[in-house]
Amino acid sequence: MNFNNVSKRIERIKFALLSPDEIRKMSQVRVITPDTYDDDGYPIERGLMDLHMGVIEPGLKCATCGGKVDECPGHFGHIELAMPVVHIGFIKEIKSMLDASCKECGRIKLTDEEINNYRTQVSAIDFETMDPEIIDMTLKKIVEIAVQRNICPHCSAESPKVILDKPTTFREGGIKITPKEIRERLERIQDDDLLFFGINKGSARPEWMILTVLPVPPIDVRPSITLETGERSEDDLTHKLVDIIRISQRLRESRDNGSPQLIIEDLWDLLQYHITTYFDNQTAGIPPARHRSGRALKTLVQRLKGKEGRFRANLSGKRVNFSSRSVISPEPFLSMNEVGIPEIAARELTVPVLINSFNIEKMKEWIKRGTMPRTPDGKYLAGINYLIRPDGRRIKLTDQNAEINSERVDIGWTVERQMTEGDIVLFNRQPSLHRMSMMAHSVRVLPGMTFRFNLADCTPYNADFDGDEMNLHVIQSEESRAEARIIMKVQEQIMSPRFGGPIIGAIHDHITALFLLTHNNPLISEDDTLHTTSYIEFEKLPEPVIKDGKKYYHGRDIFSLVLPEGLNIKFKSHLCAGAKDKCEYENDPADTYVVITNGKLVHGTIDDEAVGPFSGVIVDKIFRKIGPQAAAKFIDNVTRLAVGFLSHRGFSTGIKDYDIPKDAISRIQEISNETLEKIEKLVNAFRSGQLQPLPGRSVEDTLEVEILSATGGVRDESGKIASQYLGLNDPSVIMARSGARAKMLNIAEVAGMVGQQSVRGGRLNRGYANRTLSHFKENDLGAYARGFIKSSYRAGLNPTEYFFHSIGGREGLVDIAVRTSRSGYMQRRLINAFEDLKVDDKRRVEDTIGSVVQFKYGEDGIDPTRSDEGQTVDVDYAAYDEFGDEQ
Amino acid sequence: MISLIWRDTKKNVELISKSVPCAYAIDYMPADKIDTAYISTDKQNVDYEVKISEILKYEPMDDLIFKRKTGLKAILKISSIRKINRVPISEFDMEEGFKELTSFAMGEKYQVDYREKEAFSLSPEAKEVLEDAESKGYDIPVSLVNKLVKYKKSLPYNKYEKLLKRVDLELKKREIDPFEAVGIIAAQSIGEPGTQMTMRTFHFAGVVEMNVTLGLPRLIEIVDARRIPSTPSMTIYLTEKYRKNEEKVRELIKNLENTTIIDVADIITDVGDMSLTIKIDRNKSRERLVSMGDILSALEKRKGIIYNEIDEDSISIKLQQESFKMLYQVQEQLKSTPIKGVNKISRAIARIDAKEDAWVIYTQGSNLREVLNIEGVDSNRTTTNDIIEIENVFGIEAARNAIYREAENTLSEQGLNVDKRHLMLVADMMTFSGTVRAVGRQGISGRKSSVLARAAFEITSKHLLKAGLLGEIDPLAGVAENIIVGQPITLGTGAIDLVYKGNKK
Repeated sequence: MNFNNVSKRIERIKFALLSPDEIRKMSQVRVITPDTYDDDGYPIERGLMDLHMGVIEPGLKCATCGGKVDECPGHFGHIELAMPVVHIGFIKEIKSMLDASCKECGRIKLTDEEINNYRTQVSAIDFETMDPEIIDMTLKKIVEIAVQRNICPHCSAESPKVILDKPTTFREGGIKITPKEIRERLERIQDDDLLFFGINKGSARPEWMILTVLPVPPIDVRPSITLETGERSEDDLTHKLVDIIRISQRLRESRDNGSPQLIIEDLWDLLQYHITTYFDNQTAGIPPARHRSGRALKTLVQRLKGKEGRFRANLSGKRVNFSSRSVISPEPFLSMNEVGIPEIAARELTVPVLINSFNIEKMKEWIKRGTMPRTPDGKYLAGINYLIRPDGRRIKLTDQNAEINSERVDIGWTVERQMTEGDIVLFNRQPSLHRMSMMAHSVRVLPGMTFRFNLADCTPYNADFDGDEMNLHVIQSEESRAEARIIMKVQEQIMSPRFGGPIIGAIHDHITALFLLTHNNPLISEDDTLHTTSYIEFEKLPEPVIKDGKKYYHGRDIFSLVLPEGLNIKFKSHLCAGAKDKCEYENDPADTYVVITNGKLVHGTIDDEAVGPFSGVIVDKIFRKIGPQAAAKFIDNVTRLAVGFLSHRGFSTGIKDYDIPKDAISRIQEISNETLEKIEKLVNAFRSGQLQPLPGRSVEDTLEVEILSATGGVRDESGKIASQYLGLNDPSVIMARSGARAKMLNIAEVAGMVGQQSVRGGRLNRGYANRTLSHFKENDLGAYARGFIKSSYRAGLNPTEYFFHSIGGREGLVDIAVRTSRSGYMQRRLINAFEDLKVDDKRRVEDTIGSVVQFKYGEDGIDPTRSDEGQTVDVDYAAYDEFGDEQ
Repeated sequence: MISLIWRDTKKNVELISKSVPCAYAIDYMPADKIDTAYISTDKQNVDYEVKISEILKYEPMDDLIFKRKTGLKAILKISSIRKINRVPISEFDMEEGFKELTSFAMGEKYQVDYREKEAFSLSPEAKEVLEDAESKGYDIPVSLVNKLVKYKKSLPYNKYEKLLKRVDLELKKREIDPFEAVGIIAAQSIGEPGTQMTMRTFHFAGVVEMNVTLGLPRLIEIVDARRIPSTPSMTIYLTEKYRKNEEKVRELIKNLENTTIIDVADIITDVGDMSLTIKIDRNKSRERLVSMGDILSALEKRKGIIYNEIDEDSISIKLQQESFKMLYQVQEQLKSTPIKGVNKISRAIARIDAKEDAWVIYTQGSNLREVLNIEGVDSNRTTTNDIIEIENVFGIEAARNAIYREAENTLSEQGLNVDKRHLMLVADMMTFSGTVRAVGRQGISGRKSSVLARAAFEITSKHLLKAGLLGEIDPLAGVAENIIVGQPITLGTGAIDLVYKGNKK
């Protein structure tokens, strides 16, 4: 069964209703027995498990097509219903037809003139392709006229109002109309009038909405399962069908032997109930049919509907083979284009290799190696798991049959080869929020049990290593492999389409290391230099500086080793972002700007702005000027360089980073006391009624606003004091200032003061009656009583402060939980609404019908991924790159 | 040019049309010399234009057509009449507050002169650059041309030429690939940062006293195209006369804020003698610039009440029909009786905008149509955050820009960087059909051409059953439906067929 080289497409799918005749025609067996299996476990003939409808048991053959279990696709059967029954899905349509058509002559209750008028309007509608909602709207108005009319303009018969007694009973003047009568009326509606009811005469007839024959789905659709106890358990649909046949039979018997009308009607209603719940077991107004255990049955509509339904769970998203999932962990020595996979996964996941005249010898050799080959020194080698003959038969390779099979293979066979270094795989972390959540990596087989990758790839996947798991898919076709290499590889995804800048870059310690290496251009000892540079590939060491007879190297020169030639950039570093002319943190004013000339770092400090994700000016410029390959090489080298430097130099952070001198602490104390006084004054003013309300605010609100701004101010103030004493020789400050991790605010919280806690944007105010905790007096509006924390994390929080802090923290957690579900649903809707849009060859944006949404994509036809952070072209940089600063 | 406008019956208009040229007797004496006039048949819009050759004082004449039988004052000699496209009477400059045409009025039609927007007109230097580029066959957009002007001046010609070439090359390199799935990219680019946004509904937007929905809830609101946003608000820019004059701004605010009786007075119900007393609070009424007269004129419209006693700061009222139920009802009605201000605008605050260096008014509540008519409001720049209101007042293109602007502001306020092209695509997709459509079941997704795609999104069974009746055909053109049937999608590399011919031996 090799369809690989057949490229056929389904062009379109037409929907229609099944007529009773069609149902009978496609049926292979008329089911009359409500039983499934006989005592021997053999399917009963003309029962619900009749062999004509397909087989689910190995060993048996289908009575229709003769196929075995996996060969027979299943066939329909049918049930002849004793009496006609309404189809629950078409109740609305039946109602509107009964309302708008004459009960005598079956014509729509419109005058000939009206019909002629509207016909032109209606026949312009193409039922097959037009938007159903627009069709509905047009027709509703016309049908409404007919509904309002009581006397038929054609035969002058009077039609009383039909009332729908939900869910399935129709009444006319209080008297029930049986489905049989409904069917007769619907039969009288002429084909030509159907169009006004929104029915395509080519695909449906109104009377088909009243069922006389019920199709029985193939057994494959409702397989029975054998429990461990040997007991058989039938599918929900089979249960329902059993009920239907049983009632239908009883109804037929009662009708034939002339039972009282009442009994017949009861049975008829019961049949209606069973068929209604067979279609939809959540129909409003009737109790759902239940399993013996009390569980509601999953019938047809339930099978299709919702997240777990056929459409969303099995058709829009499918389970796949050749995939694997494991915990992830970091590996700085891998390239950002690689992924390390454990041997156990590599041996299980395979790539199909078609044997041809070029590779047959090599493949024979590989087959001979068996399933678990290794080099003599014990290194992993790819083995073969399966052989596939040209006729599609699979042969499992074992170490015993390896020798023989290596002789048997020939051109045209396929072997399933285990993963080997350099294979391309797709790597994915959920939630897959953007296209960088699934990228192609090349394989490295590593010892251990986890998937490993370079830390630079954490940002696009939004991964960390606190137990995250990721999925890996092995690509099975040559075409897909080529596509993955060319467009999905990590290096091709460095630029984010969201903002046109790099989303992959150095993080955390990488940034710290590069900062230390380049800030104020330190001299690095020869020893350190050699260690650091041993991590990267480079051509020649920079010129050393001789001092006291010892060799030193400039940090910036070392960094320049990883820069490609011909690169010219000038930008402000993260450290100097706020500086205007001269940066206060740099010794040399020229270092306010990072200047790279012809691939050499001349001035400035390398930090988050230069190499980090989201900003990464250097990465950005290398990617554009030289290409993805060079950018990937730069990121690989820069991360290795950083790791090399930092691991040799050493870097640690601890509580002593937050030690500030006593007078600093007392200054903080002072301002916090001042604020407390201020708040007290405010509260007193409020109590004495002297507080002037802000325009449009109540006095209470004004008090809160004033206090909040006071407490916000004191936190900032204490942060400022603390950071005055904490310089750039403080590891925590280095991390904050370089953009590696945390903000100065966090440092202020540790060293200075934690500040006001808040819930829903205001001070804490709930808890006990009129107070937050029993530690305070009732109606205390003071700072401490409402969640102000004057302690720092370093000094430690007192019990009430600790409790308030937890309240604030809890709100954050709840917020995140709510947010993820809300934004997830928004994104699902966005994707669903926009998935079909594409740019055509003239850069127009079109939807599936061909309506033009934009005449030029984004008004300039430029790919945001390739734009200069949104700009069409950054002319100033182009000029700088061409001619430098001179101009 | 001032012209005469009057309201007339269709019958009269027909009569005039038939007998032109004719003499028409009217009960109004136009003050000025007039040679054109307009007739309205529905009070709101003008639909006939009349040329008048002469105006005479009324005296009985032969062949007169009478507008009325009595009180005739003048005779118009009408030389021609023609039907014109409907023009709302608001397009005529007439007495202030003129909303409905009852009989006769004098007015001047507003003259609109069209000027090219400055942003679209090119400076001579820019035109030169554009010519340079065109002569070399480069297609450089105007936005870049303006930036290149600087370099034409500062660089020697050969370098400038090189720069032009570089820009042209960059442009070609950056074009979007055909068949790129731009919709999905846009949806992801907007959805992905959603997880990073704050949920807190209320925030202060520069104005301490006012709340505005921001962050994720606001973004959801925008793509949902809600009828009414949860916190409607307007930004009102002022005309030159007003924008620096604090006093005038304060006054404008008072005229904006919807003031009801309860805002400036207490209502006391006396069940004993079945009366209601409106006791005016001096402080409040002074603050809101409400006088006794204002309240009385507001009460004029109320029917079924009799003034009992009116003194300096209280109004006592009795009912025509006395009953306790009525008393209660009237009290409730009085509370919410508007005195002045614009409906729906509950609060207005003026701030000096640093960028503008002028007063800007922010409001809670939005009523674009009425605010634009207020004197002193710069109707060119004043805006609201209610997208549907913008659609109703200004039309679909304005709504498109509003969606774009609101989404952009929401995202950038959160410090999230999303390319404007994605937001434009969302705005265009929501509006290209001519009305604002929401993203979701009732909007774009519910209107997809594919049955399968609709079934896969939401309300599965309804779509399938309906498709059977209509005999719908699913052309399998989109993404979802092709995935469902298990074949390659029609975007990106799937949109292209590549066939290898091979070597013919």
